[in-house]
Amino acid sequence: MINRSLAKVLSFRYKILALIFVVLAGGLVLLPKYEKHEGISPEKLLSNAISPERYISTDELAHKIINQDPSYLLIDVRDEVSFDEYTLPYAINIPLEKLFDEDSEAYLNQDEFDVILFSNDNFQANQAWLLCNRLEYKNLRVLDGGMNTWFNTIINPSTPKENMPAESFELYTFRKAASMYFGVAYPEQVKVKKVKKIIPKKVIAVKKKKKLPTEGGC
Amino acid sequence: MKELEKTRRISISAVLFILVIIIALLAYERPKHIYAENTANTLNKLLTKDYLINLSEINNPDFVLIDIRNQYEFEKGHLDGAVNIYAPELLNENNSKVFKELGEGNKTAVLYGNNPNEVNTPFILLYQLGVTNIKILSIDISYSQNKLITKNSNIEQSIVNVNAFIEESRKKASITSKPKKEVIKPPKKIIPKKKKKKMPAEGGC
Repeated sequence: MINRSLAKVLSFRYKILALIFVVLAGGLVLLPKYEKHEGISPEKLLSNAISPERYISTDELAHKIINQDPSYLLIDVRDEVSFDEYTLPYAINIPLEKLFDEDSEAYLNQDEFDVILFSNDNFQANQAWLLCNRLEYKNLRVLDGGMNTWFNTIINPSTPKENMPAESFELYTFRKAASMYFGVAYPEQVKVKKVKKIIPKKVIAVKKKKKLPTEGGC
Repeated sequence: MKELEKTRRISISAVLFILVIIIALLAYERPKHIYAENTANTLNKLLTKDYLINLSEINNPDFVLIDIRNQYEFEKGHLDGAVNIYAPELLNENNSKVFKELGEGNKTAVLYGNNPNEVNTPFILLYQLGVTNIKILSIDISYSQNKLITKNSNIEQSIVNVNAFIEESRKKASITSKPKKEVIKPPKKIIPKKKKKKMPAEGGC
């Protein structure tokens, strides 16, 4: 009895198997939904977004530029008008709206250079950074404080007060030297030729005692 | 007999195959958070700038303020009616529920922190996850005598024209260095006057 019903089922076995495979194949249709899920997971993106690792200070950058470090690429994400007005030396302009253009991708998505993004402050640079970070672009950094901090620290450094520690004076001298490198001129920088004052030798006239003519005695 | 063994083997392997697939499906965990917007769409949203609001606009019954600073800072001082969700905990289950409920209730989440930049990345992240009714309150927060002070913040405003500044500094430097022509004054000739020494009265005869 069992054998007979088993045989009946077994006669359909290939059909049943085929049916199961068709159903499973149907499941694949649902998968493309996850394909939209481009980039790294949201959890990882959040932890990247919170860590301050991406920031590079203006001093560090100034150092790199002055030492002609070839390993970085400066990218200005502001609009063209501000870019034309003033930008960092050798910076490339990629306005935020052109971030995903084909031309821009060649600059952003590579692992040869450290890409340093900057704007007037951190805001737009961070937006560009976050979008690119989701797409797993490597070696992206953000200039901390952007152009405004660049101006306040490198181009126009504030003089330290007398009661500040020695480091701030050292930092100030570095920044000042850097600002000269970037074209700022200081009045005292123009060397005033020091005229060596020739101190005239004092001639002390030794008065010779005049021999008094012998006075008439009595 | 031999044929029967063959078919049995086929069916056994097929069953095993299906079992593996079923186990894999069961083990497959649906990711908790799925992006709803791709990066290109998000970029378009960011370019509109309509997600930024300032202090005068927050008195709207549909707005729910969310403070993304940590608990300590939140307790030190926060805006009236704000809810504290610390940025690193944004994706916790409870917090994602909060955002979901806000969306269902047609409310708008208004994020704020110490400065707009701090809110920037959490905002973009949430937007990409499909929380579309979300805005940034662009304020700077500072404390004065333990009181919270809020100030509208200027985002992406250039404080100075750097080029002009450099030009200016060059001009200044050249002006101050030019007129300093040192006129070499001829040293005064000092003609020492010889004082006639009064001869001591000589003894006469």
